[in-house]
Amino acid sequence: MEIKAKIKDGITTVKAMAKHPMLTYDTAKKQGVEANFITHINATVNDKVVLDMSTSQFLSKNPIFKFSFKGAAAGDKIIMSWVDLSGATETSESVIK
Amino acid sequence: MERRNFLGFGLLSLVGLTSLNLSAEDYRKTKPDVWTAHTNEDAITKLFGTNVTINEGVILTVESVAVNGANIPIDFQSSIPAKSVALFQSANPESAVCAFTLNENTILDYSLRIKMKQNGIIMVVVEGLDGKLYSASKSIIVSKGGCEG
Repeated sequence: MEIKAKIKDGITTVKAMAKHPMLTYDTAKKQGVEANFITHINATVNDKVVLDMSTSQFLSKNPIFKFSFKGAAAGDKIIMSWVDLSGATETSESVIK
Repeated sequence: MERRNFLGFGLLSLVGLTSLNLSAEDYRKTKPDVWTAHTNEDAITKLFGTNVTINEGVILTVESVAVNGANIPIDFQSSIPAKSVALFQSANPESAVCAFTLNENTILDYSLRIKMKQNGIIMVVVEGLDGKLYSASKSIIVSKGGCEG
């Protein structure tokens, strides 16, 4: 997962991109494979949850998203992870600039 | 003696921190019916208990004609003090796209990209701390359907 986190005036804005095919049930059936898409993404900074997102097959492939929060400082580490329908997970981290 | 007390205190505060993570909610597990509902109204009711919403306080930004149905940028934001927000659309087999839980640190200002098979109505519903639902919706035309990836 690529994470870019910037803080300005106390508000941190994060742009993130997860690499995932986000295969819908319909498309998977046509291809003869199992559907698989990210079902939950979360982000924490200093053990505080700053993103808590349950998702469906309808996010675009390699989902890009942006979110904001307050209560962090430059130099803090942000940890993001997702879990998908098959149970696979991925965790990445970055530093807030 | 002092050092031992200090260490003990440190352990206690660690326990407090880990229990904070339980504030995150995975709606895929706690409310599975939301994700199989076909219509916006049905999905909203399954997630929030009602589909009665007040149509104000939420800003939803999306182009009215989506050139690429596989990648439709959507922005939504609100300054209403809220506990959760969710996105729905009426074009795909199931309506619910994603749901966020909010807390005192999160800011309700999200951008993401979705895919839609055909024309439909996109709806953002915010669950305020006052227990009321606020919403904004927009009807969009999809020139090239996008669930095929």
